[in-house]
Amino acid sequence: MEARYEQLFRRMALTGLAVALIPLYLVGVAIYVYFASTQEQNQRAQLQNLAVSRTSAVQLFLDERIGMLEALAETADVGTLTRPGELAKILEILNRRQHSFVDLGIIDAAGDHLAYHGPYALEDRNYGSEPWFEEAMLRGVHVSDVFLGFRRVPHFVIAVRRDDRPNPWVLRATIDSEVFTRLVRSGQVGLTGDAYIVNRQGLYQTPPRFGGEILGAAPFGTSIAPPGVNVVSRRTTDGRRILTAFAWLTTKDWLLVIDRDPTEPAAPLREARRIELAALLIASLLVGGAVVFHTRQLVARLADEDRSRVAAEAQLAHSARLVSLGRMAAGVAHEINNPLAAIGELAGLMEDLIDDQFLASSQHAKLFQENVRKIQQHVDRTRGITHRMLGFARRMEPHQDTVNVNDIVNEALSFIEREASFRQVELIRQLDADLPMIKSDRAQLQQVFLNLLNNALDAVAEGGRIMVTSRAVAESVMVMVEDNGSGIPEELHDRIFDPFFTTKAPGEGSGLGLSICHTIMKGLGGSLSFDSAPGEGTVFRVRLPRTPV
Amino acid sequence: MALRVLVVDDEEDFLRSIVMRIELRGYEAHGVTSGDEALQYLRANPQSVDVVLLDIKMPGMGGLETLREIKSCCPSIEVIVVTGHASQEFSRRGRELGAFDYLIKPIRLEVILERIEAAHRHHRGADADE
Repeated sequence: MEARYEQLFRRMALTGLAVALIPLYLVGVAIYVYFASTQEQNQRAQLQNLAVSRTSAVQLFLDERIGMLEALAETADVGTLTRPGELAKILEILNRRQHSFVDLGIIDAAGDHLAYHGPYALEDRNYGSEPWFEEAMLRGVHVSDVFLGFRRVPHFVIAVRRDDRPNPWVLRATIDSEVFTRLVRSGQVGLTGDAYIVNRQGLYQTPPRFGGEILGAAPFGTSIAPPGVNVVSRRTTDGRRILTAFAWLTTKDWLLVIDRDPTEPAAPLREARRIELAALLIASLLVGGAVVFHTRQLVARLADEDRSRVAAEAQLAHSARLVSLGRMAAGVAHEINNPLAAIGELAGLMEDLIDDQFLASSQHAKLFQENVRKIQQHVDRTRGITHRMLGFARRMEPHQDTVNVNDIVNEALSFIEREASFRQVELIRQLDADLPMIKSDRAQLQQVFLNLLNNALDAVAEGGRIMVTSRAVAESVMVMVEDNGSGIPEELHDRIFDPFFTTKAPGEGSGLGLSICHTIMKGLGGSLSFDSAPGEGTVFRVRLPRTPV
Repeated sequence: MALRVLVVDDEEDFLRSIVMRIELRGYEAHGVTSGDEALQYLRANPQSVDVVLLDIKMPGMGGLETLREIKSCCPSIEVIVVTGHASQEFSRRGRELGAFDYLIKPIRLEVILERIEAAHRHHRGADADE
């Protein structure tokens, strides 16, 4: 295909692909975005539920521990509790179902230990000025924030007051932070999810999984969390977008925080993306294939039509040229005919006037007579030329007349005879004398034969041979023009009738001759075909319908 | 009686030669160089011509016009068109106007004489039919 058709193809195919695929991709993206947003909404809902259930669990944990200690403080008397080994036994009972208490202590109103059981040597400590002790004495029950205390280890305590008169006392227990941390962390989701507690001041009460340690400051203030359970979207310090559930506990002003990466778990989204990409790929291939295929066909048809149109225009122009050439030839012939007729008649008269007396009168008289005859012969010859020119002119007008194909072949041959003899090319006629007359266009047939003969003449070398054969077969009249020239290479066979295809040097052949012949023969209801063997020669076959005259 | 031929042609060399040659062959011949002259001659001598040899392209009155006039004034005269201007159009119109034949110059005198004889025979045949 020519470059401009290739360009047209590219432009049309690209437009077609854009029109077909862009909406497809937009729909694909929309579906994906919708799916992803639904996914995030689901995650938010899940996170909300998780936060509610984890808050309840933590709340329950604390309430149960408070309840246990309250029951103990209310039912046992201080005398019993402070007996040696008593606290150890109680601690063992309390931890029997679940190990959650680290130590137990009974502290009097002055802050001194009446009894203590636990892994630390705290019996001699005075808690009189400890904030948690003051809170417990004041309010009856207190859950402390996490602090280092005398043991220099982060922990928190639950303290309940027993109002014995006149000596109230406080039952204090340290909660196993490992157990508590594990409970809080049960709210973690996925590989990057986190769950921890911060106090109102924003200090970690349980260690976060990433980017912080216990008692360290969280990167957000607790003021961003309204009361109740809320899910918000926020950015981490390293810029990742995450979903976070904030849930305030009711027993204690602690904030349970559950972080979650919305892109995790990615499996459903990944699956959706994979299915969608596969669907888009298949659809793109189908649509792309169809667009490319149809555009290719369309452009090929366009190119074909363009070529036929160009060929038709060229033929029209060619015919117009021939018509004007014919008019010119006729004009020239007319102009020549009149003086030629005068020359002929003058010479004829001279011949008529030669008599025996004249012949006897001069030794040159015989030569004179001979020359007069020669003048007449040349007049006859020139008449042949002008009559042929007139015939040519006449034939340029479209016609349907009764023709003897042999005559037309002979006329066409007469045009190339001179050049053939000049180049010593042998012209052989094998014309069927009994060829039937047919109805056809004389001028167009002449053009076809002349073209074929000219091509043959171009194809053969000096001393070559051109044979023209005519014969009648069943429903046709056939004329074969055969040469023993170089032949047509196999690879050119398909293109030989294409307009503008020529093997002649630039400027020597228009490449229209055979194309026009082919078109003419189709127009006359016949056909033009050929056989060629490289190195041996070519035969062109003109088939004409044997129309009744 | 010898056949009488009127030749109408503006090419004088042609006209003089052919008139002489026709006469040399035993016919009566007269030459004129235009259509007007031809009509003048025919009107003056209506019974003196059997066949007219008529050129088509002539200054003044053209050949076809002359042909029409001849046929209207003297329908019994046969006209053979002899011209260098071969065209199917002229040929068709010549025949429509009653020309016996249409010959293209240059042409051998023998052919012309043969056609003159044929025209005359045709004319006599037509007379006999009447």
